[in-house]
Amino acid sequence: MITNEQITDFIQKIPPAPKTLQVTISLLNNGELTKAAQIAQTDLALKSYLKSIVNKPIYGFKNEVSDISQIFGILGVSSSQQTVYNYMMTLLSPKKWKLFKLKESTFNELQAKLSRRWKQILVHLDIDDAEIESAITLLPASIIVSEALFNHKKADVDILRSVNNLDLNTILSRLCDLDLFDICEKISKKWEMPPKIAQIVQASSGFKPSDDEEINRLGKWMHLLLFYELSQPMFIEAELNDFIEFQIDYVNDIYDDFATLMEIS
Amino acid sequence: MRAVVKNGIGIFTPQGFLDGNNGGIFLSLEDIQATAKLNVDMILVSLKKVVFFNRNGLDVFVKMFIKVREEKSITVGFCDYDLKKYNAIKNFYKNDISFSLFASQDIAELFASSFKNKNKNVLLYNEDKSQRSAMAIELHDGGHNPIIAQTEDEFKTKINTLNTYDVIIENTYLGQMGQNIAARVTGNAIIYTVSSFLDADIGNTFNIAYHNNSLNVGFRLFIFDAYKVVSMNVHALNFFSRLSSSAAEYNATICFVGMTFDKIPEAFKENMEDSGIMFFEQMDDILGDKELLAELGASSAAVIKNKRVINKTIVSELPKFIDATVSTIEMMTNSTAIKESAEIQAIKVQDHTDKIASSIGFYGDMDGIIMLIFPKDIAKKACQLLIGEETDDLELILDTLGELVNIVGGKMKTLLADQKININITLPRTYPDIDSLLEISQDRKGVQVDLAFDNDKFLFFLTR
Repeated sequence: MITNEQITDFIQKIPPAPKTLQVTISLLNNGELTKAAQIAQTDLALKSYLKSIVNKPIYGFKNEVSDISQIFGILGVSSSQQTVYNYMMTLLSPKKWKLFKLKESTFNELQAKLSRRWKQILVHLDIDDAEIESAITLLPASIIVSEALFNHKKADVDILRSVNNLDLNTILSRLCDLDLFDICEKISKKWEMPPKIAQIVQASSGFKPSDDEEINRLGKWMHLLLFYELSQPMFIEAELNDFIEFQIDYVNDIYDDFATLMEIS
Repeated sequence: MRAVVKNGIGIFTPQGFLDGNNGGIFLSLEDIQATAKLNVDMILVSLKKVVFFNRNGLDVFVKMFIKVREEKSITVGFCDYDLKKYNAIKNFYKNDISFSLFASQDIAELFASSFKNKNKNVLLYNEDKSQRSAMAIELHDGGHNPIIAQTEDEFKTKINTLNTYDVIIENTYLGQMGQNIAARVTGNAIIYTVSSFLDADIGNTFNIAYHNNSLNVGFRLFIFDAYKVVSMNVHALNFFSRLSSSAAEYNATICFVGMTFDKIPEAFKENMEDSGIMFFEQMDDILGDKELLAELGASSAAVIKNKRVINKTIVSELPKFIDATVSTIEMMTNSTAIKESAEIQAIKVQDHTDKIASSIGFYGDMDGIIMLIFPKDIAKKACQLLIGEETDDLELILDTLGELVNIVGGKMKTLLADQKININITLPRTYPDIDSLLEISQDRKGVQVDLAFDNDKFLFFLTR
């Protein structure tokens, strides 16, 4: 159904991160918000993405924000970097989704929701780290990879899943000894993202706990956050709820804390 | 959302958080109705992967459950929960629980008519005495040996007795149970469960098309589990007499088990015996007696009187049957198939060693049987995707092979539906060796296609 050659081919076809983005991220890393904004301005698609994301209700701005230096100024270094990484991920997403019932706007909505909630979690955990904040941006790559690998196999996947409750990640790892999160890690390497990002996302798969206690704790929060968002009606309708398996035992010890923070009752 | 159907139970598995806003999006009435059409005994929602739920979320499902149960008499409810979730559900619904609760899928299977592993020693406890009794009756009727703990203390003491019980039931609640004429396969016998008063309605509730195609696939022993039958009238008598006469054309046997004649005229029994129906007091009188089983045809196919030949209509759709089979095996093994030859002939297998087989029948706008012969290694490889690991357990491989052939059947159905040809499929049958398959195929002519998967030979045979 899916072979290692197809995976290799998929990864090889991923273009390197565009120069503008590399420079913008590098400048943001050095705290040079104004210079970063000047570079970002030159990439019209990035500029449009930043405007559309930041003006979503979840960001909570009363008035429309349209100037890039203003956007970077409001978001600060970490969140600006996170948003640019989110944009990088959209470069991988398909023009038309076939496996999932997604549209570009729905996917962007998921990115925005995950990013804001992740920030909320990090504030709650008293963590101020740009790399950790950006880690959430790699998580939706697992959805993009699923779409890319399985979109021509939807009928097969449906039939297979009617006799056995297998998620896409399990199918892939049984067929190729490589899972969605391994492929996400390969993408992050290709785009020269900091290694910590891939480590957290690997832990957030829910079945590969990290030996590093801090990474593992963040992986649990990210795994639970993902399923919190994938339980929202718009993402269930997009058939995202069961593309990977929810590891309920993995998040058991942080659930109460999470429920309090998200005001779930 | 799609249900996974196994052992007569359709299970939906939502993940994450469940409330009034998303319940109806996780699962629609159409999803449940589509599953009910697959002749399942139960439809359950698994709460294993639900980390949070509230009453509003469950209510959405419960309303749909009630509607489906009104349309089709099947058991509905929730399964796979821990004590905390069980208590929450009990607390939400207090004394108004109209659905069933099964702590695990394994426990639910014990109460499903289609479950084939009988004779389990089951320890059970429920604080409600009527629930304890209801469960014990259902389990006993299902062929198990229930042991009831009358108090919680007794239950705790008995739990600690190692290796005494196959299954322990607690935190389980029986709502209204289904009353379908469900079919289950035990070995190579098909068991139908009938209950209460049998009248002319049996003609509507009994799936005659399924029965006829089971005959055609090669099943020769049909057992009616009639422990719960109270009485029957002359319309039901005529129905069973006709059924037995038509089965005789295939040299098949129909038996009734557990039927009492306290409220049925003795003449009815004589009439039924005259038409060839046999009566047994206990299920074990048949299933436990291997010689009798063989004699009644459960493990061998007798001569088929109305042997049919493969026709042009079916041959014209051959590429679709092969496509469905090849693409499934390719999907499951991640390998490519090469077609080596195709001939119209009686089935020919050169080497019988280390091969297993499976067959599945189809009926509707066209009918026939597909037989697949696998080298054990291909079967193991194909099943690995479903099982998740390599195994040498033949029973597990055959079971999984059955699922795989079900997938082939599902694909055939889809491919033919595209041509506006509607078919239904029977339960798959598996064979641990080639000789038992050849007993069924006898010298029927069909299309034999020899295929190679990574140099392993695989045989496809289509006949009627």
